[in-house]
Amino acid sequence: MMFYTLVRKDLLLEFRAKEIIIPMFAFGLAIIMIFALSFNASQAINHAFSPGLLWIIILFISSLGLNRMFVLEKEFDAFTLTLAAPVDRGIIFLSKAISGTILLLIAEILIIPPFIIFMNLTIPSDWHIMVLILLIGDLGIMSIGAIVSGLSMRAKLSEMLLPILFFPLVSPHIIACVKSTNYWFKGLSFINWQFWIFLMISFVLVFFLLGFMIFEYITEE
Amino acid sequence: MELFFSKRINVIVAVFVFTLMVFNIYNIVNNTPMVPDQFWAQKIFYFHVPIAWIGFLSYLIVMIAGILYLINKKTVWDHLGFAAAEIGTLFVVLVLITGPIWAKPIWGTWWTWEPRLTTTLILFLIYVGYFMLRAFGGHPERTSRYAAVLGIVAFFDVPIIFYSVRFWEEKYQSHPQVEITKQNPEIVLPFLISLVIITILFSFMLKYRLHVLKVTHNRKID
Repeated sequence: MMFYTLVRKDLLLEFRAKEIIIPMFAFGLAIIMIFALSFNASQAINHAFSPGLLWIIILFISSLGLNRMFVLEKEFDAFTLTLAAPVDRGIIFLSKAISGTILLLIAEILIIPPFIIFMNLTIPSDWHIMVLILLIGDLGIMSIGAIVSGLSMRAKLSEMLLPILFFPLVSPHIIACVKSTNYWFKGLSFINWQFWIFLMISFVLVFFLLGFMIFEYITEE
Repeated sequence: MELFFSKRINVIVAVFVFTLMVFNIYNIVNNTPMVPDQFWAQKIFYFHVPIAWIGFLSYLIVMIAGILYLINKKTVWDHLGFAAAEIGTLFVVLVLITGPIWAKPIWGTWWTWEPRLTTTLILFLIYVGYFMLRAFGGHPERTSRYAAVLGIVAFFDVPIIFYSVRFWEEKYQSHPQVEITKQNPEIVLPFLISLVIITILFSFMLKYRLHVLKVTHNRKID
């Protein structure tokens, strides 16, 4: 119940202020433009590179979004009040990770159509599989992201510390995301690349559990 | 607080460790057989592999110390975690240097995205972040807590990194560590000696570092 309230709070804040999704979208668009212009490549090359590029964009915009989400909490010392809520700290972690995932998914829905158009891609017909990959991918990114943001939010240089901690930790997950996107994009059947999906799922499970258990120590005063 | 080397026992141990290291190099250069196809390049493996193992061991220590610190908040666990992280990172840097030195003559390239090498590189990057967190964390008690958490998180990441990189590239090349069980005793014995000596060196370094951290900590309190 408290979990629902916390997620609702994050989303409501965002839908009123639009401080996270709009910058994520604008930044993502800018990166796509830079990619498209700097490669200026044939369609075949674009096809080969696009899964990797897509996940780089997602990683960049997610670190932007995470930073913003936790800076918001710092304003007026809001996080201290959140911590004062009569709720397990693990639930706060879950709410942050889930609301982060929802915001990232919305940003992706905005960012992927221009990505397809600018990179001149043709998409396989079974696109719902890609939605699944995006969902698991985002859950993984946001689980480790919420842990790392919790660690870096009150440090000096927090906006620099976040990507430095976040990118190496999330790298195995990103490898798995890129691999499965790549195989899906090439139209290979699921049996050939199920390993990567299982790896992603295990990453999500490990870091959701770890975050749930450990967030208490991050937020302790 | 007294200096580390003002204790006689520490001086003796330091001289002992130094002698052992010299002996180790001598032993490796003179008493190990030349491996066909690899010649001198293979000798680095007597250092590379033990250093890599000890590097990973010290990250295991960081994780265990982190868990213990979160449970009972004793400064000694924090110091142990920090010291092990520092020495572990030093060792990991040595692994990242010796690996390419071996790879250049054998694989013909300085760097390949080989699973172990890549895992080590990613771990190294995580620990760069760890030291930045230590330096810029703000409040000291909070920084210790955060560092403990990061040590735990980093260690849980290792197996996932390893498997993701392992299957990332289908072609899989032979690696010194894979071959160790197939080697003859002439190679295994000096390897084990080197492993033991480097472990002793590691424990001595850890003891020294713990001492320094303790002295610094007491100074801050005074």
